Amino acid sequence: METASTLTWTIYDADKMTQREIYGLVLTDLGRQHPKIVGLSADLAKSTKIGTFGDAYPDRFFNFGIAEQNMFGAAAGLAKAGLIPFVSTMSAFASMRACEFVRTDICYQNLNVKIIATHGGMSFGSGGSTHHANEDLSIIRAFPNLTVVAPADTIETALAVKKCMDIQGPVYIRIGRGFEPRIYESEEYGFEIGKAHELRSGTDITIIATGNTVFHAVQAADIMNKNSGLSVRVLNMHTLKPIDQDAVLKALVETRRLLTVEDHSVIGGLGSAVADVIAASGKGCAFNKLGVPDTFCPHGNPEDLMHMYKIDTDGIIETVGELMQRDFEEDEDWEDEV
Amino acid sequence: MTLTREQLTGRLVLNAVLPVIRVMLEDDERMKDRFADVTGTVQFEADDPDGKIGAWLLFDRGKFEVTQGFTENPDVLFSFSSLKAMNDMFRGKPVLPRLGALLPALMKKPGLVIRVFKVLFGLKLLMPAAKPKNAEQAHLKVKMTLYMVSTALSQMNKAGDTDMQAWTAKQPERIYQWSVDGTDIACYLKVKAGKTKAGRGVHTGRKPFVHMSFKSVDAALPVLANTIDTVSAIGQGLVLSDGSPEYGGKLGDFMMKVANLLS
Repeated sequence: METASTLTWTIYDADKMTQREIYGLVLTDLGRQHPKIVGLSADLAKSTKIGTFGDAYPDRFFNFGIAEQNMFGAAAGLAKAGLIPFVSTMSAFASMRACEFVRTDICYQNLNVKIIATHGGMSFGSGGSTHHANEDLSIIRAFPNLTVVAPADTIETALAVKKCMDIQGPVYIRIGRGFEPRIYESEEYGFEIGKAHELRSGTDITIIATGNTVFHAVQAADIMNKNSGLSVRVLNMHTLKPIDQDAVLKALVETRRLLTVEDHSVIGGLGSAVADVIAASGKGCAFNKLGVPDTFCPHGNPEDLMHMYKIDTDGIIETVGELMQRDFEEDEDWEDEV
Repeated sequence: MTLTREQLTGRLVLNAVLPVIRVMLEDDERMKDRFADVTGTVQFEADDPDGKIGAWLLFDRGKFEVTQGFTENPDVLFSFSSLKAMNDMFRGKPVLPRLGALLPALMKKPGLVIRVFKVLFGLKLLMPAAKPKNAEQAHLKVKMTLYMVSTALSQMNKAGDTDMQAWTAKQPERIYQWSVDGTDIACYLKVKAGKTKAGRGVHTGRKPFVHMSFKSVDAALPVLANTIDTVSAIGQGLVLSDGSPEYGGKLGDFMMKVANLLS
């Protein structure tokens, strides 16, 4: 049995580490327990932190150079041979440069490949559009057999990396570049892939967030509750696919106002997934999506870019204010009273 | 225009107390039988310096309606010299309407008058101190009281009660729900940006912002009779208050205000 002293990280480290760093350490721990795990990198071992695994298990680690397509193709072969490849590169390269290889080599064959895609969204702000990944969720969500997870913080990243081992098939875990604010205090909150986690209960409106925007959603909810008594539900929709339809429908029926927040294009990501659930339900509601509009965003600090596209605390508060004013059904006859 | 205490109470009597007669006619078997074949109109009116106010009841073979205002040639006329006199009668005080106005009905339709008096006597169950004699009456008392209070709260807002209006003005669409577990008793107050509306049953449009669910009729009785405060009742498990404690507490204050106006 694993003991704390044998682990390469502890819960206390989560506060000081990035999602990438915790991923590297958790994968190293998993590597000790599962000899079939192999690590694959495309010259980004240091940036994605899969190098931590490579340092511990050099004979199970392969660097393909700047050749992502080859890397994902090889991952498919390794999986066919019974190994469990963890493949790491930036989200933009995993979803776009290697798109067809992920789709056809891995997803089509439903192979047991774990894709840990770092630098998701605009988290590599200074990298510019070539290194931003505002389309990855939209693209890879369409691939059959693929499970898609975007953890909210370091603790959840650790859980997602561990839990993806329970899935026999491809998994895409999207994490940020670094210093994502911590939300969870321990691992004991019931993380389950495919099940949203309610971080705040509320009845006036529901904010559904994913990845690094969950922190801002919680902050916004607390501020609005304190300042104006607004009862705001916050759902951490860490799993984009399969999306937790029950949680969305419950929020729809119980709060009738929904806002999605994501560090991603408003086309095809969390907002679109939630909108699909709402549309299929046939129920009316006030709904809005916060994310990057249909544009290539400029270079900049991630915090500034998030502020520009209103996917930070201030932007969420402003948008909730607008959404609360929106009528979506015929008003009552307020005089017709029993 | 700011209403006086008696004007506000009069509005609650006509708009919130009289409508719960329907509960008696539907749930009380003896009352149901009494009115099964009855048709007639009953006018309530009271003089006031700002103008007479009134409402009239229609009994039509078991059906019942309350309409605000006045009807021509009612079968029975309950006329009061002041709003305070009318209100006091509903507060359980020994006040009678003008006999001269009631006399024609006593001569022409004594049976209807007697039945109406029995109904009015039945409304005494709304008094906090009124003790139900059996389980059926207890159920009736809780149902009538909750239905009356939910409507009275809405009417208080519509009448311009300053505190109530300040409370409702800044709220988005919200539901304040009351229910009694294991019974058909459920009602709600809907609030939206200063507007209010009372309703019966469980609101299914959205989750209540505050939901006060009583464990049973017996659990509800001491709370509605003001023999135990809500906080203690929650502590004892008589009632579960789900939702914002601040808003739930304020709602409790307004419920107390209704009780004070009507007693």
